[in-house]
This record gives sequence, structure tokens and C-alpha cells, in this order.
Amino acid sequence: MTVVTLLALRLGRWGIAGFGLIAFAISLLQTAGFYQVAGRTEAERRAFGRSMSILAEQFAVIVAVPTRPDTVGGYVQWRAFGFLAILFAIWGLAAASGAARGDEERGVVEAVLATGLSKPRLIAARMTAYTLGSLVAAFAASAGFLVGVATGGETFTVAPALQAAIPLAALGICCFSLTMFLAQLGSARSATAIAGVVLLGLFLVNRLSQTFDFLVAWRPVSPFHYYEQSSPLAPYGILDIRATLILVAIAIAAAVFATLAFRYRDLGSPLISLPASSRPASYEMSMSVVWRIPVVRDLYDRRVSLLIWAAGLSALGALFVVLTKEIVQPLLSIPALSRYFSNYLTGDVYASFLGYIWFGFAQLLMAGFAITQVARWSAEDSDGRLELILSNPISRVRIVVERAIVLAVGALIIAAVSGVAVGIEAHYQSIELDRGRLVEASLLLVPFTLVFGAVGALLASRLPRATVGLLGAFAFASYIGVQLGPIFKLPEWVQDLSAFKLYGQPLTGGVDQTGFLTMIGIVVVALTASAIVMKRRDIGA
Amino acid sequence: MAVAAISTGNLTKDYGLGRGLFDLDLQVPQQEVFGFLGPNGAGKSTTIRCLMGLIRPTAGSAHVFGLDCLRDYVAVKRKVGYIPGDMPQFGSLRGSEVVAYLGALRGGADLKVVRSLAERFSLDLSRRYREYSSGNKRKLGIVLAFMHQPPLLILDEPTGGLDPLNQQEFFDLVADAREEGATIFLSSHILSEVEHICDRVGIIRSGRLVKIADLDELHRIRFHRVEMEFAPDAKVPVDAIRSATGVEDVVVDDRTVTCTVRGSFEPLLDAIRGANVTNLVSHEPSLEETFLEYYREAPPAKALPA
Repeated sequence: MTVVTLLALRLGRWGIAGFGLIAFAISLLQTAGFYQVAGRTEAERRAFGRSMSILAEQFAVIVAVPTRPDTVGGYVQWRAFGFLAILFAIWGLAAASGAARGDEERGVVEAVLATGLSKPRLIAARMTAYTLGSLVAAFAASAGFLVGVATGGETFTVAPALQAAIPLAALGICCFSLTMFLAQLGSARSATAIAGVVLLGLFLVNRLSQTFDFLVAWRPVSPFHYYEQSSPLAPYGILDIRATLILVAIAIAAAVFATLAFRYRDLGSPLISLPASSRPASYEMSMSVVWRIPVVRDLYDRRVSLLIWAAGLSALGALFVVLTKEIVQPLLSIPALSRYFSNYLTGDVYASFLGYIWFGFAQLLMAGFAITQVARWSAEDSDGRLELILSNPISRVRIVVERAIVLAVGALIIAAVSGVAVGIEAHYQSIELDRGRLVEASLLLVPFTLVFGAVGALLASRLPRATVGLLGAFAFASYIGVQLGPIFKLPEWVQDLSAFKLYGQPLTGGVDQTGFLTMIGIVVVALTASAIVMKRRDIGA
Repeated sequence: MAVAAISTGNLTKDYGLGRGLFDLDLQVPQQEVFGFLGPNGAGKSTTIRCLMGLIRPTAGSAHVFGLDCLRDYVAVKRKVGYIPGDMPQFGSLRGSEVVAYLGALRGGADLKVVRSLAERFSLDLSRRYREYSSGNKRKLGIVLAFMHQPPLLILDEPTGGLDPLNQQEFFDLVADAREEGATIFLSSHILSEVEHICDRVGIIRSGRLVKIADLDELHRIRFHRVEMEFAPDAKVPVDAIRSATGVEDVVVDDRTVTCTVRGSFEPLLDAIRGANVTNLVSHEPSLEETFLEYYREAPPAKALPA
């Protein structure tokens, strides 16, 4: 293995470890979850399989229709490996755009090429490193499945479990390679967007071709089509060697094109560039009023990401409303899930289901929003922006307070817009929602977001590098704790550790005053501690 | 007597393992251009961050115009313009927006001053920050530091990334600011750079102030390594070179002569006048080399009083 491959592995080690862990956890949870909800008798599992098939039709745009979801192999192939395909494609996209253009912007590519390494060898080294990483993560998914089966007290042949990893890794490598090529075409900044649009297009071509006949002819261009040819975990399923080899061939072809494009373009420049428009230089500072108003200037600075968050949450909220009508009955027909939902569904079944499923997911997303803001605060600290801001006559406490207000207003905008979207779509779907409760549930997302922001602010001032990982892990564990705790029969005290418990079920049960006051208390304490730490800590040292 | 623009007493920031800043005693009077010289990692940026109230000293004190840098850090910033050692990221913001953003933190910036500074350095403020070269980012830093016309400018290696023309423009800007009454404290690791503009320099090594020198002393400290090649038919004036004032360590290798020149080049140029010199290269050693040479016979004392 060459030094450059080792360097590439080192640069991507957190990605490999993270995705490996996620792949393992997802397949383990889905496998263990199957034994909790599918029942033990053949009849129960057959009924469960039927419900899942009906459910899958509602999600046909995202994942393939399952084969034998009444068996653990068929179910996990559909639920876990179907979702992991999307996850590996996203990983391939992120890793390749980072390797192709991100490292170039950071000067890593220039430094490596300066050692005398050729461009083709550099691409080969990055491909090799990702291939190894992708295989490790894919086999971690297989391991998660086997461990899950063992926890269910059943046995499963190892060979098909390992075979399931091969097309998954091949898909990831294929997406990595395609992104490597596409990232050469445009500017460094647009590399991820260009590759993302193309991969999304290829994904949708395959998925929508199941619904729209005119897309069937285009299906062979999509790598996701070849991935779906294999289903070794399902009964009588196979590893389609021909389809997997086609994935590998696409990856090799894309790598060759990427190498050619890389050879013919200048470092730091795209292969295809439009002539820059000439305009006279300006020596004037911006007179826009937004820069003069505290909080507003920071919100304006984040306007694009705020818009994306608000639009994304609104679209997802509306989608959840649409799906609610379709999926509630199939889900409630599964005895184990019916028992599970009976804890949360009161009054109107659709409204309470929406309140539980959508607002549970919205909490996870809002925690994600808070984490992105905390990551930005950490970045401002490490890249020197905070140092330059503090070279002006403003107090450090003001920085903490302004950040909290910006986070609160941002969360309010996202929660309000998505709440309106959910309300409108619910009206069109004839789901009766209490308007007052919908407003309360939406507004309660603001203090919930602030909890993560305030704790993140405190963590960022002590452990800036670990903050995002710690907060992300806590948010994910909290979500899993609340959503899956009852299914896996986790002890009550474990479920109570979840931050999501504080939010409660405001759409059906109103605002939980204790939870609300606890959230406010955490925010006040964490922000005060954060302000004290901020006053005393070294900046830029 | 006017209060000193900068004064420190036993200022110490100990990072452990012998790294940091130790027992710094320094007085910079108002309207002085003070150069703070030292090799990389000597403690220049640590000193500057203590003055800016960005880091807490382990011991000692730092004052700006009599204000405690730690306790009165907000009031201190009203009097200071600052260029950090590394310019941060402002991503997709335009230069004009960065100026407006940071200007607003001080209650607004003077449009005319901003325009004049940007024009002076030919800095196109309509471009996005991420499109700026490192030199342009440094120019933006200069605009941000000078746009409020503060009475004290604290500049951490301000010419890094600037081309020679813009460096000269910067030296002129510093001279203008001083004319208008400002005090300038700038760090550098290049001796010749501070020689252009500073009234005095403080030299720091391994976290300790080892020397405070005025311009005359600086000239004595400074030296160049010179290599001269003579034409094949020319007579090499070895004796004249050896006897020239300030010329030392003369080594003759056939038609090539190398030597060290301290202070002015005039005596050496007089010595080789009329000889057929085909090539002459003068190289200024790094600050570390300069001081190794300077302290070759006399090792540095601990800290020196200002």
C-alpha cells in the first residue's frame, strides 16, 4: 500500500469509522427490531409482511419494494440495506468531493503533487482508500445483521450476510468514482452540488421508473438499478454478480474519465469554465442596513441555510401529513406496533400519529439545526473569525447572548414555516388538527433547539473539536431512546435520559409544563455557564 | 508626562514546556512606531493577544493608554485597530460586506476613509472574500484596522503576503498614521522590514525580550552575506575588500569572493570599484541566524528592562 493511500485512509478515517458504526447500528437495530415487532408465529409474521408490503408501496419513491418482508433476511434487506444504499451514496458523494476539490482548496493536493506523485496515481490512491473504507463499512453492516439475528435467538448462514455487503460497497465506490469525475468539471464550490444533482437524478430515474413507464428505458443508466438486482439476504435471493460487476465497471470508467479530466485541468480551476465578466472594481463598503443591526446581520449572513432548513422541514412535514393517511392503518394492523402506538395515540388517530411521528422527527432535525450552528461557532473560534470580531469593542457575554438569540430566531422561523406547511397540508388531507396545539407544538421546538444550542455552546468552549460529535451522538441516542425504547423495552430511566422526553406530545396532550420549564432551566444554566467560560477563556491561543 | 500607549509589567503567559511569554517589561510611548521582532514561535503573537485581551496572562499586567487590557478590554478595543496574524474565513461575504459587518461592531465606519484605503491598495471590495488571494485578504485586514483611524494600531505581521509595491504602500500608510498622532506596534520576523518604518525595535527569543534597540543599533546588528564573482581577466581586489569597514569573514575561491557585510555597503562598493564584477548576490540571513551571529560570543541575557 502506498504512502498516499495511507494518507488518504488517514484523512478519511473518521468517515470510515463513523459510517462503519452507523452501518453496523442500523442493520443491528433493524434486525433486532424485526424480532420485537414481527411476532414469533408464522401467521403473525405473514401478517406483518403483508403490512410492510403495503407500507413499502407508499415509500416506493425512496426504497425498492421488499421481497419476503415476513422473514428477517427479506425485512433487513429492504429496511436496512435499502436505506444504507442511500447512505453509502451520500458518503461516496461527500468523500469524493472532499478528496477531489476540498483537499485541493486546503492545499493538500498541491502538497502531495509537489512530491512528484502523478495525478493518475493520486486518483488511484484515493480510489483505493475509499474502496477499502467502503468494504469495511459494508461488512460492518453484515456484522450488525448477524449480531441482530443472534440476539433474536435464530441462526443465519454467514455467506449471504457477507454477500450483501459486496453490492453495497460497490455502489458506494461507484458513487465515489462518479463524483470524482463530476467534481472535475465545475468550480470547487459547485462540485458537491453538481455531483449531488446527478446522483439524485440517477437515483430518481431508477425509483420513478417503477411508476412511470417512459423512464424504464433509462433505468440501466442508474447504478442504483444494478444494486437492487442483488438481495442475498432474502429467501432465494442472490448476489447478482453481473450487476455488481457492472457497478465496478462504471466505477473504473468514471475513475478513468476523472483522471483524464484532472490531467487536463489546472489545479484550482474547473475543466469547464465560463469567461469571467469584466466589471470595474468597487472601493465602496456595503451600505445595506442589515449589517448595522445586531442579530439581523447574523441572520442575514445565514439566510441561505435558513431558507434551506425552513423549506426542507416544510416539505418533509407536508410529506409526513400525506403519508400519515396512507400508513397509519397498515402500521396499526401489526399487533406489536399497535400496542406500541397505543401509548401515544389518543383521540383522533391521524392527528396523534402525526404529532408523535412528525414532531418526533422534527425534534431530531431541529437538534441537527442547532448542531450546525454550534459547529459554526466552533469554526469561528478555530479559523480566527471570533478573534477578529473580539478585536472590536464588544463584550464576550454579548457574543454568547447574540448567538443564542440568532439561534432562537432561526429556530422560530423554521418552526413557524414548517408548522404552517403542516397545518395547510393537514387541512387538505382532512386531518383535524387543533390549531392552538399545532402552534404550541411548533413553538415548543424553539426552546428544544435552544437546549442543544446552549449545551453545545458550553461544550464548544471546553471541547471544540469533540462538540459536534458528542451533540450529534446525544441527539441520535435521544431520538432512538424515545422512538425505539418502548419497542426494545428499554428501562424507563434510560428513556427518561432522552432530551426528546422534555418535549412531550404537545399536539395531542398540550404543553408539558414540567418539560418546558426544565428546558428553559437547562438553557438558562448552560448559557450562563457558557458566558462565564467565554469571559475567562483564551481566544485564538 | 503622557501615559504610555502600551506598557507591560512582568507579563507572562506560560504554556508549559518552556513555551509562551515570560516576564515581559515593555513601554511604548505615544506616537512611536515600535517593531516587535522575533523568529517564528518566539512569543510575538502571544504578546499581541495579551494586549488585545484575547488571552489571560499567567502573571503580570498589560495596559493600553493606562487601561487594563483584561479588565477594560472593551474600552481598550475602542482605541485599537488590529490585524491578526492569520486572516479568518468570511466565505461568501463580499469584501464590502465584511467591512460593513465589522465596521458596525464599532458603530459604523467612515465611508470616505474606507474608500481611500481600498483605493490606495487597489482592493476591489465587490469581490467575494473566498475569491481573494492571501495578499488581498491581508489588504482587507489593513483596511479593517485603519478604517477607524484609531490612536493605537496593533499589527501582527501585517505585510505577510503583500507584494513589494503594496509593502511600500503599507509603510507609507504607517508613516501617515504616525504623522496624524497614532502609535503603531507591529510584529515581524524580517529585520529589514522593521528597519524601514520603526523608531525602536524589541527583539524576543524563546518568549523573552532580549534586546530593545534604536535604529542605529539595528544597523549595527544587521548584516548581509555577499557573494561576488569577478571576470576571468580581472584582478580581484582581495586586500581592499579585507580592509573595507564592516566587511568580515572574507573567503576567496579563485574568482569568487564571499564575505559578511555589517552596516553600510558603501565601503565594500568602494573596494570593488573598477574591478570587473560579473555577478553580485546579497542575501539577508534570517533573524535567527542574525542573532546567532550577534550572540556568537556573548550569549543572551535573560530579560532586559525596557
